Formats: sequence, C-alpha cells, structure tokens
Amino acid sequence: MTTSSASAIISARDLRKRYGALQAVDGVGFEVAEGEVFGILGPNGAGKTTTLEMIEGMRTIDSGTAVVDGIDVSRDPRAVKARIGIQLQASSFFDELNLVELLQLFGHLYGRRVDAPKLLADVELTEKARSQVRTLSGGQKQRFSIAAALVNEPRVLFLDEPTTGLDPQARRHLWGLVRQIRERGHTVVLTTHYMEEAEELCDRVAIMDRGRIIALDTPAKLVGSLLGRGFAKERVERLANLEDVFLDLTGHDLRDED
Amino acid sequence: MRPFGIRPGVFLALFVASVRMFVRNRAAVFFSLFLPLIIMLIFGVLNLEGSTTISLGIVDDADSEISRSLVSAINGVESFEVTAPDSGEMQAALRAGDLELGLVIPAGWGQGGDFQPLNAFAATSSRQDARIGALIVNSIVFRIAAGSTDLPASMVVVEQVAARDLGYIDFLVPGIVGMTVMQLGLFSVAFGFVQLKRTGALRRLFATPTSPVYFLGAQVAARLIIASFQVAILLGVGIWFGLQMFGDYASLAVVVMLGSVIFLAVGFAIAGWAKNEDQAAPVANLISLPMMFLSGVFFPRDAMPDFLAAVTGYMPLTYVNEALRSIVNDGAGLTSLGPQLLGMGVWAVIAFILAVRLFRWE
Repeated sequence: MTTSSASAIISARDLRKRYGALQAVDGVGFEVAEGEVFGILGPNGAGKTTTLEMIEGMRTIDSGTAVVDGIDVSRDPRAVKARIGIQLQASSFFDELNLVELLQLFGHLYGRRVDAPKLLADVELTEKARSQVRTLSGGQKQRFSIAAALVNEPRVLFLDEPTTGLDPQARRHLWGLVRQIRERGHTVVLTTHYMEEAEELCDRVAIMDRGRIIALDTPAKLVGSLLGRGFAKERVERLANLEDVFLDLTGHDLRDED
Repeated sequence: MRPFGIRPGVFLALFVASVRMFVRNRAAVFFSLFLPLIIMLIFGVLNLEGSTTISLGIVDDADSEISRSLVSAINGVESFEVTAPDSGEMQAALRAGDLELGLVIPAGWGQGGDFQPLNAFAATSSRQDARIGALIVNSIVFRIAAGSTDLPASMVVVEQVAARDLGYIDFLVPGIVGMTVMQLGLFSVAFGFVQLKRTGALRRLFATPTSPVYFLGAQVAARLIIASFQVAILLGVGIWFGLQMFGDYASLAVVVMLGSVIFLAVGFAIAGWAKNEDQAAPVANLISLPMMFLSGVFFPRDAMPDFLAAVTGYMPLTYVNEALRSIVNDGAGLTSLGPQLLGMGVWAVIAFILAVRLFRWE
C-alpha cells in the first residue's frame, strides 16, 4: 500500500484499532514527508482521530506499525511524544494557571526551559500572557493550544480539527499560523472536515471513510482525477461565494481579541 | 520507558503547579479551610461549657475555730462550689482540671492574730475563674482578720498548677483537624481530579513524554503540604481560643500525614471510578457525612448507644480523631497510640488497594 521513502518522517502501515464491535481503524497506511503539511479528511467517525492518536502514542495500536522520526511508536511511545507536538481535539488545560505558567510547566514536562513570551508572541497572545485559558475565545484557545504543542520544538506537529467551531476570520488566521509553522520547518499533520481548509493548507491529503483511506494524493491531483472521470458540477462555479461576501463585509480582522 | 530518567525538576514544577491550582481554586480553599474555620469559630464562640460557678477545694490544716469560720464564710459565697479533699486529692483534681482553685489553710493559722498568707493553687485551665476566686477569698480573709495589725498586702499567695482542661474547644479542635484532613483528601481529589479527567486536561499531560505518575505524586505531595498548613492554621486559631496542646507536634504531624494518606487514597479511588463530578459527589458525601457525625468530630462517641459506638469505632476518621485527641489532650506519644495507628494503617492499605484497582486515567 505504501512505498518506503528515505525522507518519510512518519510511516504508518496497516494500522488497526477496534472498539468492541466497531472497527474504528481498518488497515490504514501512509507516509508523511519531512516538511510536508499532510491532511486527513473524512466525515465524523471515519477514524481520523483514532489514526492520529495511534501514531502519536496516545492510543495503543491493535495491529500494524507506526514509525515517527525513526522510532517505533509501540516500542517507545514516550520517545515519540518527546519529538512531536500534539494539539488534541478540544484540549483543555489547568484552569487555575495562566498562559505563561502553563507553557513553562509544559516545557518542564519535556525537560526544557521555554521562552514563553516568544511562544505567545508567535501565536499573537502576548496580551493574554497572564490570563487563564478559560477566559480566551475559541480562536485564542486553539492558538494557545498550538503554542503549548510547540514548547518542545517538535519535528511533527499534530493538529486534530484545529479550526472546528471557529468563525471565518479566526479560521483564516489559524491557517496563516499553520503556514508560518511549516515555513519554520515543522512537519504538520492535521485532520479536518473542511475541504476548503485542506485545499488551502495541505500538500497531500488522505480521505478516510469507515476506518479506511479511500484516496490519497495532492488536492490538485484528486480534483484532476475526478474531472478526468467526466465529473462536472451542475452549477457553474461562481467567481465568489457567500464566505467571500461575508469576509468582504466583515473584514479579515480577528474578532476574538476583546 | 523514561527518556530523561528520574527528573526532580519535573516533579518540582508539577508540585508548584499543583499548589497554585489548589490555592487559586476558591471553592477548594473555602471548603477545605474556611468552612472548618467557620465551624470552629461558631462552636468556639458558643463555648458550650460556660460554667457559672468556681470550683474550690479547701484543705484545712489549721482546723481551728477561726479557720472553720473562714471555711464557712467561703461556703457562703454563692459563686463557689466548695469541696474538702485531702492535699493529694486536691492537687490531682487541680491537674485533671476538675478543680479550678485549691486553698490550703496552714496549721496554726490565725492563732494569736498571726495571719500568715494562705497558699492557693490555681488551675491553669481556668485562669480567669481561679483569679476571681482568689480575690474573693482574699477579701474574706481580710474581713476575718480585721483588727489584726501587721497584715501582709495579700492574704492569698497564688501558685499556678498546670492543669488539663478538657473544655469543649479541646475536644472540638482535634475533631475539626481530623475532619479537615478527611475533607481535603476526599473532596479536593475526588472533585479536582475528576474535573481534570472530564475536561481532558489530564489527557493533555499524556501527550508529553513525562509519566503521569509524576503528576500523581506532585498532587499528593501538594495536598500533604496544604494539609499541614491547614492543620497549623486550625491549631493556631484553636490555641487563640484557649486550646491547650499537651502533646508534641511531631506525633501530631505523623497522624495528620497518615490520615491524609488514607483519605487521599479514597479520593483517588472515587476520582478513578467516577466519570464526572455528578458521580463523584454522592459517593464522596456518602463516605464523609456519616464519619463527620459518627466519628466524634463534634460530639463524644460515648453518648452513642453501645452498638453504634462499637461499629463507628472502626471508622477511619474515628482512629484519626482518637489519635489526635490523645496527642493534643493527653500528651500521648506515638508509642502509646498503637491501636489507633494500627487502625489507620489497615485503612491506609485498604484505601490504597481500592485506589490502585479503581483508578483510571481516562
């Protein structure tokens, strides 16, 4: 299913996970090249998160192998965790600590001292340095969550549905952040169910359904192959859509900075 | 397994974070510190004993007409509750806190107008009543000796006798300390940890290479330190209210730590089993409420029917409270607390096994 390449930073082969009667992940394999932004798309319940969490060492793997940066996840999940950054879906932090304290604490958990102000500046949360996470807006929470995932300068950053629930401005802002992270040389693996987001951000995408990958390629090639099979939209593509109207009217500025 | 080996820095960072999380959590601070303090202040102000008479023992070594007239004059004072023990009995009663003031009329007192001062022994347990009693006796003596010249300035020489005073505050404070130790362990863990589990904050820790056991250890250490501070505050306020500490603080600390370990383990067992706070709350209350009222926190267990007293004697908080009272009230050391320490030890083992079996990270 996958061919091994020397530059692959993630190599997953035939991953399987079963919860009771449900085969959540049913033989998933793919490789992610270093420096790539790799997207896993799929409807809810397709097995995206479970796949991600098996590769992250957050969930045990029933069968198959996942190798991250040369380390077999099943053999040494902690060594894998030390090299990656994880943003969990709806991840939450200790309520009573402020952002700087949290980043410093997370630094300690990786055995390193962190430049918390710099990390917060990178995600534009400098003014919120002494605030608690619960006082942040949805977009700010996601940005903080990414900052926390970057404390160990990870080789790979995993983002699980980073823009779910965000307004269009905050979503676009987060896209900009992901691009910056990629430019700094981090590999990014993200899940989403926004096709537009995948098209904007991802070098390659894997489309999952019912625990399996049903397509894997660059967004352009996936669209090309569909068109090649004679697909045509019933409506003529408009030059702008409602989201463009919305953003034209309300601007691109972030709204979550009160 | 541990890519960085054992790392004290990580533990310290998690410990500091755990302490911060606790002291910044208003509900936790209220329930585990201010509530016990308020309960103590209310009961302390009520001062349930509040006796109106002064118990006075008189040893009349003179046994003369004039000494008998003094005794009968003292007997005539309504505020006095007079007894006539022998000298040894009187000293013992003073030390036990059963007498507030003891008076010795020396042999030959008042013979030929020679009024030497009386020896009075004031129990330290009743500083004020004893002082008032001595003043009353002094004025009576002056009246009897009226006409004699050469009288000393004071006819009563008061000597303090270290007395054990089993006032209600002395009963209450060790009980409140025990209750606080229980509440801190049970509730701060049962609620705090379940919340971390439910919101996913605990899961976020799993995304790092640090073993969650560090976090568990830091949480326990933070609560033990917090328990020590709370006990210190409660004892401080108690002493201000007249509590007397007869025992040593090292023994007290051992009992507080052992008690904390029992209830922290129970807290982790609940936190491990429960999926959310709504499940944790009834269980924590089901465990803590009976003990709060049946383990002798507010009222002595002697008053209970025999059957209930026997059963409640095996409750973990009963062992903790008994040990704390023996130390604070009787000055007992750890060596004389064998049964209580054994009881606590057994409960600690049971609670630890429960916690290990029931605890789930997710």
